[in-house]
Amino acid sequence: MNKINHDQLLSLEHPFIKIPIEKLKSSLRVSQKHIEKEIASLNKTVSDISKKSTKGELDPKEVEVALEEIVKRLSTLKRKLKDTRAEESLYSQKTKVRLQHLQDFTAISTLDSEDFARWSRVRLNRILIDSMLRDGFRETAMLLAKSEHIEDLVDIELFAQSAKVEQALMRQSCIECLQWCKENGSSLKKLKSTLEFSLRVQEFIELARDRRTQEAISYAKKHLTSWQGTHMKEISHVMGLLAFPPETKCHPYKRLYDKSRWNDLIAQFRSNNFALQCFTPEPLLNVTLQAGLSALKTPMCYQPNNRNINCPVCDPETLGALAADLPLSHHFNSSIVCRISGQIMNEDNLPMALPNGYVYSYNALTEMASLNNGKITCPRSGAVFDFSQLKKVFIS
Amino acid sequence: MESFIKDYDKILKRQRNLETDDPLDRLIAVVNEAKEKIRADPSSVKTSLATLDSSLSAVSNGISEEQKELQSALSKYSKTIDKKFTGDMMGAINPHAFDNKEKMLRNTIAMHFIRQGNFEIGDTFAKASRCSEAGLEVSDSMRNQFMEMFDIVAALKENNLEPALEWATRHRSGLEKRSSTLEFKLHRQRYLQLLEAQQLLEAIAYARKNFGSSGSRHTQEILRLMCCSIYMHRIESSPYADLITSNTNSDIQHMFTRDFCSLIGLSCDSPLYVSVTVGTQAMPTMIKMASIIKAKKTEWSQQSELPPVEINLTDDTKFHSIFACPVSKEQASEENPPMMMVCGHVVCKESLQKLCRGSSSYRFKCPYCPSELVASQAKNVYF
Repeated sequence: MNKINHDQLLSLEHPFIKIPIEKLKSSLRVSQKHIEKEIASLNKTVSDISKKSTKGELDPKEVEVALEEIVKRLSTLKRKLKDTRAEESLYSQKTKVRLQHLQDFTAISTLDSEDFARWSRVRLNRILIDSMLRDGFRETAMLLAKSEHIEDLVDIELFAQSAKVEQALMRQSCIECLQWCKENGSSLKKLKSTLEFSLRVQEFIELARDRRTQEAISYAKKHLTSWQGTHMKEISHVMGLLAFPPETKCHPYKRLYDKSRWNDLIAQFRSNNFALQCFTPEPLLNVTLQAGLSALKTPMCYQPNNRNINCPVCDPETLGALAADLPLSHHFNSSIVCRISGQIMNEDNLPMALPNGYVYSYNALTEMASLNNGKITCPRSGAVFDFSQLKKVFIS
Repeated sequence: MESFIKDYDKILKRQRNLETDDPLDRLIAVVNEAKEKIRADPSSVKTSLATLDSSLSAVSNGISEEQKELQSALSKYSKTIDKKFTGDMMGAINPHAFDNKEKMLRNTIAMHFIRQGNFEIGDTFAKASRCSEAGLEVSDSMRNQFMEMFDIVAALKENNLEPALEWATRHRSGLEKRSSTLEFKLHRQRYLQLLEAQQLLEAIAYARKNFGSSGSRHTQEILRLMCCSIYMHRIESSPYADLITSNTNSDIQHMFTRDFCSLIGLSCDSPLYVSVTVGTQAMPTMIKMASIIKAKKTEWSQQSELPPVEINLTDDTKFHSIFACPVSKEQASEENPPMMMVCGHVVCKESLQKLCRGSSSYRFKCPYCPSELVASQAKNVYF
């Protein structure tokens, strides 16, 4: 029961390990592209030089200068690629540290060991940091990562750029987000993302709102026509805006003018961005918390007499409220918990029934009897019985 | 996992190579070489340029080869990761379950930090969330209580029992109500500390002063403690070696934390930690169930129960008694309570009714033992 099934638990760590690998991949791709381009132009320049030199158009001195130029160009590119290289080593380092973190986990064999508790605490911290980053609590996230020394296990830097884009959208500016779309064009295409279209439509809507009809039409010509194959219906809707003022009550133009469309854009950007970087659409905190609360939730958690202060769901103000709408867990096997000691009752610690029907564990009752001259006081009803009045209960 | 690390190390080596032996440096070297040659001997322009051309293509072929290899190794690696870490988490949960409950979630998180003694982070988080819509309420009194707790634990870590003893004496009645042995355990620890410091007389005086009040409850243990003083110089090799094992200190810290929290009406572990840890254990089962149900195309997320599969909890996370009737396999409820028959076996009321064919005087055999029973003698039990 207390053994860990590593493969199963690792299935939750897919994003954790995948995120830095994908970043490393894309960063390598960037530098590779630059280098390939440079090599191509280099070959061309060198063959140009030798051609000219054979024809006598360049004397050796000039050849020397031309070659010097090439060296200079290569050095410039090298400086330019410095950041990409730094990124590459950051992510390869991160991947390494994360693999090691998971490796440490596979070395733990039982759920009740101190090592597991320590590992789980680290996991909780990185899950919390992820949730805070998504919520925009960057400062707290950084503080926690630093104080726990887990910077390599979290993705703080990946949220810096997306935060900028989101802030721009909040200011109702599409420029940053469109720039982001351009940078990630091919990946977005693979996702079949319509984010760019939505952004273009929004810019058009803003022009229509300001009644700048001429500009709006030329904007549509330039940026919307390329989507006609897939989005003709939407395009004809937005073109309709030119005929309707922003105050219109008419459907669907009212909806298009609505400012809440900006929030939809933020949501769309977020989900695209998460998918692109292999993040889960929902924070892992919500996922695991939801699963945990469901697994722990019993009908008794909401009955004041049956509350257990150690049970997370029993707190009606915090987790209990979060769990309120979650499904209950299913049980086909009995597990009886002693109300006095919190221990599980089984063949080694038999359940004993008092004459009033209340059941407690043998261990707890013998301890109570030994301190009270063989008398038992039922903690729930206050009734007093003799130890000899107890009856063994058999749960099969 | 080990094979993953090994495979990755190979990739890492290649990536590191790119850093130490930058392909651009190699290109620069080749061009520089040709340049130097021409400078040294201007008449060799033609041959030098020809060499440059051929060595350039050799070097650049090498470079693109290396990069391609690294890229494809990485892609392959990424795919094996996909294969090893599978499971559609999102299918198993309801993404809107916590909608409009951000405030509660944030409260829980803030509380969690305070319970971990991470006051600085708790405060930063609370400040940040107060700026956003959902305000936070972690009462100052709660915060101060935990401050006190962590101060005392810090002292305990340094083997200073005074603050803990002072606290335990102050809360004696509350602790006794919970039949806690904290105060005695602390006195016991202090006594052993004195013995280990070879201060026999002080130890005995301390025992006389402090063990008296708990004499009736811990007679046996006090006897052992007093006896162990005759081995004062070598307790570790005496029959009393178990009294001074190295983890007594961490046991006392844990006991203190538990009693402290219980006295202020809180669980001893952070509820957020417990829930998330249970969640990670429950998740694989839920993922599997969700994928089966998805394959069968039945909907369950709207129902009030999880799919009919048992999620195993570890013993320390079972907080409530669950009674599932061994006959009907149904969970007991208020309408269908567990009934104990004369032989001590328990079934649910509905099952009992079936066994006795609806008559309270009908004699039937217990399904689990040879006893003959009548339903009227069965009685309600409360777990």
